[in-house]
Amino acid sequence: MDTPSRKLAEKILERLVHEKVLTEQEGNKILPKLAEGTLRSEDWRLAVELNEGKKAKP
Amino acid sequence: MNASALKQLTIEHLRSSVLPFSLPFEKGKKLTVVYGENGTGKSTICDAFDFLSRGKVSSLEDRGLGRTSRYWPSLGKSAGDVSVSLVTTGSTCRAAIGKGGDVVATPPEARPRVEVLRKSQILSLIEATPADRYTAIKRFIDVSAVETSEATLRELIRDLTNNRNVAVARVQENQDAIQQFWEAAGRPGKDPLVWAEAESSREMNTFDSEINAIGALHTAYNRLTDYPERLKNAELALTAAQDSAAAAAKRADEHLQAISQDAAEVVGVLQAARAYLAKHPSPPVCPLCESSEKTADLSNRISQRLSAFSSLQTAQAQVKSAGEAVQRAELQVQTLRENAKQHAADFEKCRGAHVWPSDIALPASSAPEDPSAFSKWLAANAHLPSEWKKAEAARYDKKQFVSALKQALQTWRDNTQEQKALDRLLPRLQKALEIVEEERRQFTDNILATIAGEVGRLYEAVHPGEGLNKISLQLDPNRRASLEIGASFCGHNARPQAYFSDSHLDTLGLCVFLALSALDQPEDTILVLDDVLASVDEPHVERLIETLYSEAIKFRHCIITTHYRPWKQKLHWGWLQNGQCQFLELTKWTASNGLTLIRSIPDVERLGQLLAEAPPDPQLVCAKAGVILEAALDFLTLQYECAVPRRSGGLYTLGDLLPAIDKKLRQALRIDVFKGKDAAGALSYTTVSLTPFLDELTRIAQARNVFGCHFNELSFDLLDADALSFGQQVVNLMNVLTDGEAGWPRNGKSGEYWATAGETRRLHPFKKPA
Repeated sequence: MDTPSRKLAEKILERLVHEKVLTEQEGNKILPKLAEGTLRSEDWRLAVELNEGKKAKP
Repeated sequence: MNASALKQLTIEHLRSSVLPFSLPFEKGKKLTVVYGENGTGKSTICDAFDFLSRGKVSSLEDRGLGRTSRYWPSLGKSAGDVSVSLVTTGSTCRAAIGKGGDVVATPPEARPRVEVLRKSQILSLIEATPADRYTAIKRFIDVSAVETSEATLRELIRDLTNNRNVAVARVQENQDAIQQFWEAAGRPGKDPLVWAEAESSREMNTFDSEINAIGALHTAYNRLTDYPERLKNAELALTAAQDSAAAAAKRADEHLQAISQDAAEVVGVLQAARAYLAKHPSPPVCPLCESSEKTADLSNRISQRLSAFSSLQTAQAQVKSAGEAVQRAELQVQTLRENAKQHAADFEKCRGAHVWPSDIALPASSAPEDPSAFSKWLAANAHLPSEWKKAEAARYDKKQFVSALKQALQTWRDNTQEQKALDRLLPRLQKALEIVEEERRQFTDNILATIAGEVGRLYEAVHPGEGLNKISLQLDPNRRASLEIGASFCGHNARPQAYFSDSHLDTLGLCVFLALSALDQPEDTILVLDDVLASVDEPHVERLIETLYSEAIKFRHCIITTHYRPWKQKLHWGWLQNGQCQFLELTKWTASNGLTLIRSIPDVERLGQLLAEAPPDPQLVCAKAGVILEAALDFLTLQYECAVPRRSGGLYTLGDLLPAIDKKLRQALRIDVFKGKDAAGALSYTTVSLTPFLDELTRIAQARNVFGCHFNELSFDLLDADALSFGQQVVNLMNVLTDGEAGWPRNGKSGEYWATAGETRRLHPFKKPA
């Protein structure tokens, strides 16, 4: 059974991807850590920065 | 998770099961009602599911027994004798007490998921503290893991915001520093940063090259500066040497003239004679004149004469030495001149090797090839070395200035870049945080609203129209893990515990339990309700039972134990829909047999059995048929508000009830019997009039009194077939009027007819004809 945290994490990442804060790829990467509470500051930063980097590409 | 249908539960030596006890489950029915008086073993059945699923017996907890496992085995049995097995269509799971005292289920993956609610627990969630209430539903709303990740995001934003503030301050500091550089440089151009960019783009090698060139020029110039002095000294030394040589020569001439004209030749002869006498100390004759005269002491006399010539020799040595000194002095002068000439050429070469900036002054003329002209040339350029020193120092300063400016500009660029990067990143992180917070709140609120809505729906089903359905569950925003329960009471928000009756609270507690159980994999869950109807007041029991019926289908299986006798009776009479219900009855428990199960048979089914016996007993048939007919007529007269004789106690006989259904109503009564769905999916019915059944029963109703009620000699004259016909006619009427699975047609929601659950029967008319 999915834990409430897992269900919530899926909803959050779906929204973050939809709002273009993260790429789907990065979202899938951080999903387990987000649901388990092991996501670190640098993971957040990297995920958002990578999306920023991809957006910056022509 | 295993969701296969239940087939049989077997309990061995757990609590009151002194002998192995099996509870069979009827195929296709997801609700099992186990009826039993107090002390028949109902709770043992619930304990068995508890034992199998969770390895505990919660009915013994909170009774002050301490460790309860010692009371799990039935009397005289040990822990090793206890076992519970559940056979399903997919697997068999057996639980027993292991060596360590733990309950071991085999295979563990077949262990069923069970939710047990006991009468004693029904108010636990309602009366619990907010914290305990939170704990009870924590599994549905516990998103602490996400909250931890959310906290790291919040921390990151805080840190980066601090970093940005520092970067902004540093950028300002860097700009101030550049401004100072710009001002120090005389405020060239309009924009300090544009100027700084241009300045810092200058090659530092240019400064080094110029500094090196100035240094080399300076060195070359310095080499020339002492040549005039050195030449002068060398030439003075030469003149002095020449003078000394002339004086020595003059002195030697004077000595020579003082001795004789041929003194030199004489000295030579004497020196040769002394050398000869050294080899021939006593010659007999003079080696020159060969005279033997005066040969004695000849050697001493020669030595005396030679000493007279020594001053001349000294003078001659001095002449020689002075001559050599003159030669050296001449060489020195010549070498100096040549070196000076070479160094003058080096200076010119150095000057020609570099393109000199305008701020560096150079000699107006080339360095002279003739060292004699050095003095004049050097005098004309004596001011240049100090200017070159200044130019060199200026370049060193400039180099340091540009280096510091470059560093300041680079720091400004780095900090500006960091600030810009943070300016791009921070809003995205903040947006991420907003989304996380919003989704978390919404997620929790949705779950709580879902639970509360479900509780309200269930509660409204049991207490319709009482205005107590607006149940709410609210997390206390000021306290972590704290959950309040609220409800609408007379239009006001209120705590149910403060205003609800005990019965209402019981219902609410049950509704909360059902709602929570249905939220978490109900299709995999066996729901066990242990005697939870006990405290619900009579008017609501029936609706609660109907609610439990409808809720049971959500679960893998629902087992309800009860000692509520009307439930048994209503099921017997088919008043309750029992399409999905299996009704079982526990009879008196004994120490020798333990739990004993009997099957309760609805009365109509029992009548059918009596009619099928060979031979049938007319008295029993008529007695049972009479009671059933009374129930049917009671139903119809109540439904259509027929007039019956008013009598204390409200007991009516067939003689009262049959005439109460007057001719108009009797003609109008008809039943739509559900046949199935047609090709288009619409419900299809066969319409049956009740008139012939009622007419025939009116005609033969006396059979009931003659055969079924009393000893009556009249029965001697009647045929058994008349009695059996009465019984069969009652069965026929009941088969048309009621549905053994769906019950009686009591539902008037359509406004046109009365229907059973699922509309398997539709009774017409809706109102008694005028």
